[in-house]
Amino acid sequence: METAIAVVDLHKNYGDVKAVRGIDFEVQEGEVFGLLGPNGAGKTTTVEIMEGLRPRTSGQVNVLGFDPDIQSRQLKDRIGICLQATNLPDKIKVIEALQMFAAFYTRSTDCVKLLERLQLGEKRNSFYSTLSGGQKQRVALALALVNEPKLVFLDEPTTGLDPQVRLEIHSLIQELKDAKRTLVLTTHYIEEAERLCDRVAIVDQGKIIAQGTPRELQERILGQSKIEVDTVEPIPPEGIPQFPFAEKSVISEDRKSVIIHSPSPAKTLVEVVKWVDQSGLGLEDIHLKRPTLEDVFIELTGKKLRD
Amino acid sequence: MNSYLTYIKTQLRLTMRDRTVLVFTYLFPLLFFFIFAQTMGGGKGAMIIQVVNMVLVIGVLGGGFFGGGMRATMEREANILRRFKVAPITPMPIIVSSLVSGLVNFLPVAVLVISIAHFRYGMPWPEKWLSLSVFLIVGSFSFRALGMMIASVANSMQESQVIIQLLYFPMLFLSGATFPLSIMPVWLQIVAQFLPSTHLYEGMQLILLKQEGLLDNMSKLAALLATTAVGMFVSFTLFRWEKEEKIKNSAKAWIMVVMLPFVAMGAYEGYTRDSIAKQKSVDRDLRRNHTRLIKDARVFVGDGTVIERASVLLKNGKIEDIFLGDAPPAKSLNADEEEGAGKTLLPGLIDVHVHLSAPGGYTDKPEFYDPLKNVPRRLAAYLFTGVTAVRSAGDSIDLMQKQSKLLGSGEQLGTELFYLGPMFTAEGGHGTEYFKMLPEQMRQQAMAQTVRTPKTAAEAGEQVAALKPLGVDGIKAILESGGGSMTFNRLDTGVYKAIVAAAKAQGLPVSTHTGDLRDINDSIEAGTTSIEHGTTRQEIPAEVFARMKAGGIYYDPTLTVYEAVAESAAGKTDLLDRSLVMQAGPAALIQSSKQWIQSGKLGDMSAHSAAITEQFTTAKHNLLAAYQAGVTLVTGSDAGNSTVSHGPTVHREVELWVDAGVPNIAALVGATGNAAKLLGAGNRIGLVKKGYEATLLLVDGDPTKDIGAIERISRVFLKGEGIDRSEIFDDYNKK
Repeated sequence: METAIAVVDLHKNYGDVKAVRGIDFEVQEGEVFGLLGPNGAGKTTTVEIMEGLRPRTSGQVNVLGFDPDIQSRQLKDRIGICLQATNLPDKIKVIEALQMFAAFYTRSTDCVKLLERLQLGEKRNSFYSTLSGGQKQRVALALALVNEPKLVFLDEPTTGLDPQVRLEIHSLIQELKDAKRTLVLTTHYIEEAERLCDRVAIVDQGKIIAQGTPRELQERILGQSKIEVDTVEPIPPEGIPQFPFAEKSVISEDRKSVIIHSPSPAKTLVEVVKWVDQSGLGLEDIHLKRPTLEDVFIELTGKKLRD
Repeated sequence: MNSYLTYIKTQLRLTMRDRTVLVFTYLFPLLFFFIFAQTMGGGKGAMIIQVVNMVLVIGVLGGGFFGGGMRATMEREANILRRFKVAPITPMPIIVSSLVSGLVNFLPVAVLVISIAHFRYGMPWPEKWLSLSVFLIVGSFSFRALGMMIASVANSMQESQVIIQLLYFPMLFLSGATFPLSIMPVWLQIVAQFLPSTHLYEGMQLILLKQEGLLDNMSKLAALLATTAVGMFVSFTLFRWEKEEKIKNSAKAWIMVVMLPFVAMGAYEGYTRDSIAKQKSVDRDLRRNHTRLIKDARVFVGDGTVIERASVLLKNGKIEDIFLGDAPPAKSLNADEEEGAGKTLLPGLIDVHVHLSAPGGYTDKPEFYDPLKNVPRRLAAYLFTGVTAVRSAGDSIDLMQKQSKLLGSGEQLGTELFYLGPMFTAEGGHGTEYFKMLPEQMRQQAMAQTVRTPKTAAEAGEQVAALKPLGVDGIKAILESGGGSMTFNRLDTGVYKAIVAAAKAQGLPVSTHTGDLRDINDSIEAGTTSIEHGTTRQEIPAEVFARMKAGGIYYDPTLTVYEAVAESAAGKTDLLDRSLVMQAGPAALIQSSKQWIQSGKLGDMSAHSAAITEQFTTAKHNLLAAYQAGVTLVTGSDAGNSTVSHGPTVHREVELWVDAGVPNIAALVGATGNAAKLLGAGNRIGLVKKGYEATLLLVDGDPTKDIGAIERISRVFLKGEGIDRSEIFDDYNKK
C-alpha cells in the first residue's frame, strides 16, 4: 500500500491563536481515515490545509505527491471534496450543476451514471431548491466525485441530517470504501467513525491525542469492558468472589445487579456465569459492554464530543 | 477556457430563470422607457434620444451594481461560492462570467429600446451604431467590474448594499441621465466629472445626438476601460469564496483606486471644462430638436408671399412641414402646440451690418468697451429681439472666430454670427481713426485684428487670401473718404479693384462702405456684392440704381444709424424710450446715452443738427429711389454706432423704410429673404419654407399691414429651439 497523505509536525496559527499545534499522521491508499474531535479542535483547519484551501504555518504536508501549498490547482484537480454547508443556486438543475463542475476538471466521469449511482437519477432535471436535505447532501457527494478522485475528503457528511438519511449516506460511503477509494472523514458522530473508519485520530486543542483502529483505541483504555449481571435474588452480604482478570466490581443498592470490569471479558464471563448458576441466585440478564469511542474520548479529554 | 464557457453558460441560464432578474433587467428599463417617453414628450424630436440614453445608462448602472455587485455578494453569503472554492479554478472565470453575462443580458434591452424608439417614436437609427455598441459594451463591462469589486470589499450583504447605494444614486443623479447636468451649479457639474457614469452618459449622448465617433470620445472610453481592468484586477486579488473570510475595512479604499481614472478625468475637466461646454451644446441640440406645431398663424414667407392662415411644423431643428388652412392635431404629429392665431410668423430678422465691439450708446464707462465681456451679451440681445442673424462689419477677427464657434456649437446662446474680416482701407483711411489714441503696441494689435491697409494690388490679393482660412463670411472694403471737416485718406481704386477681384476669386462677397457718389460708382464698376450706406450727401441718380440692379448689387441703406445720429444731434431721446430697446438694455447704457444727449455733451454734433437731419432725409429719399429702381434691398443698422443699441435694430430699420415709402412687405423681404441671400445662407435661412432651418419670429398682429407689429414679439425660434427670452440675460446680469 502506498501513502496517500503524510502530515508531519503541522502547525497553523491565526494571529496569536494556535489552531493546530504539531500534528503527525499518515493515510494509506484505500484507507478510510477519520478525524474525530469537538468543534474548534482543529480538524477542519487540518483538512483544509490538506485540501489546499488554506496555507500552513509550518510542517510538511504531502497529499497524493503534491504539496498543497504550492500545487493546490493540481491537487484540487485530483481530489474530491464534500464540504459541509455548501449551497448551489436555487434554479440550477442537478445535472447542470454536475456538468458545470465536471467542466472544471481535467478528468471527469459520466454525470448521468454518477447520479444513478447516488439514486439521484430521477432528480437530475429538478431544481436544486426543490431537493430534500438528504438529496442535497447526495448532490454534494456527487459533486465531490465528478472528477473520479482517488482521494475524497468528507467534511461532516451527515451533520444535521435525520437518522434515516444518515444511514443512506453511510451506505454510500461504504460503497466508496468498497471501491477502494481513499477517504478522509471528519465527524463528531462517534458511531460513524466506529462504523466507517479503518483508522481514527482524535484531535483536541490542535493536537492528536490518540490514533489507531477503533478497536486499538478501545483497548487503550484499561479494562474498560464491563460485564453487567442482573440476578433474581439479592447478592448475599459476603459479596462476590474474585473472578479471573476482573479488576473491580460494583454492586447496586438493591444488590440485584453487579458490574464487573475486565480487560479480558470473555474469560471473566465464563466464570461469572458459572458462579451465578452455582450460587442459585438466578440469572435475570447479562450484558457485555465494550467501551465506545465516546468512552475513549471522554477518557482521553475529560469532555464529551458534543457539548 | 472550457470552465469559462461552461460557467458563463450556466450563469446565463440561471439569470433567464430568475424572475427578479428578468424584472430588473427587462421590465424595469422598458417601463422606465415608456414612462419617460410619454411624460417627457419623447415623441417630440430629440427628446426620445435623451430618453433612450437615460434608460440605457440606468440599465448599465443597475446591471453593474445590482446584477453584478449585489449578486456576487449574495452568492458568497449563501455559501454558493464556497463550493467553487474547492474546484481547481481561480476567481477569474467567475469575474469574467459576471461581465459577459451582464452584457449578454443587457444587449437585448438596448436593441429593444432603440428599436421601439425608432418604430414607435420615430427616432432615427443611430448613425454611429458601431461606436455606440463598443461604448455600451465597454460601459457595461466597467460597471460590472465595479460591481464585482464592491462585492470583493464588502463583508456582508448590508455592507454591499450601503456601498452600492452610496455609489449608485450619486452616479445616477449626477450623470445627467436623470437631470440635465447643465441646470446644476458649476461646482456640482465639476463633481460629476469625477464619476464614471457621467462619462458613460455624455459619451453616449455625443454618439447618439452629435454623431460623434469613438475617436472623439477616446478619453472617456479609455477611462471606462481602465475601470474595467482595475476593477477586475482588484476583485480578483481580493476575491473571497466564503462569508467567514472577512476583509479589513481599509480594503474599501480600493473603490477609490478604481475611480482613479475618473479622478484624473475630473481634474482635467475642472481645468478645461471641456465636457461641461460639450454638455451645454448637447443640451442645446436637444432643445433644438424639439417637435412643435405653430398653429393657425399668418405666415410671412420671406420672399414676399403672405399665407393668411397656415400651421408650421418644426422638427429636428428644421421646418418639417407647412399645413395650409386646417392642420392635423398637434398630438397626431407628436408635437407640442404653439398657438399662432392673431399672430404672424416670419423668418428670423437679419441685420447685415453691426459693430459688436462698439457699445451702441454714448458712454465713457470702460465696462462697455470691453469686447470680451460685452459681445456675448450683445449677441444674446439680438436673439432676444428676434434678430436671428447678424453680420459683423468690422470687429476683432479672433473674437469673431471664437464667438462664431461657441454660437455654432450651441455652447453659447445668441444670434447666428456672420463676420466680415478686418476692414480694408487706406493708411489713414476711415476705420483707422478709432485707433489713433491707443499706445503704439496696443494700436498695432488692434489694427491687426480689425483693419488691413494694403498698398499694392498684390498685397491686397495676399491679404484677402489669408483671411479665407479664418472663416470670414466676406470682405469689407471702405471707399469713403469723409466730408466737411472730417476727411480720410481714400483707398486707391486700383487696390480696391484688386480686393474685390481677390475676394470673388475666393468666393467671398464684398461689402463696400461708400460715402459719396464716386465711391458708389467705383464699387459698382469693381463689382461689389453690396453697397453699405450709399451716400447721404446727394441724391443718387436713377441711372446709378439701374446699374446696381443690373449688377445684382445689394443696397443696405442703414437708415437706423442716420436717424439715431439726427435724433441725438437734435437732443431727442424718444428712440431710447421704445419698449423693445429698454427691454434689450443694458439699462445703464441707455441711461448714459440719454444723459449725454440731454446735457449737450455731444459737442459740435448739435451745432450741425439741421445738416444731419437733412442727410437723413436724403438717405430716405435714396432708399425709396433704389426700391423704385428695383434694387435688391437688405437691412443693416450699423449698430454699435451712435445710439443704435444692439438688439432691436432691424425692427427700426424696416419701420424707417416704410416711413420712407417702401411697402411693408418689401421692407420685410429686405430683412429676411434678401438679407439671407446676401449672407450666402439663402438656402437655409430667411424663408419659412419646408426644409429650411426653424429660425423664426412670431409677432402679435400683422406687420405686413402695421409695421410697428414687428416689435411686438411673441416667440423667437433659433434652429428649432424655442428661446426662453425671460432668461436670456440671466447669465450676464449676474456678473
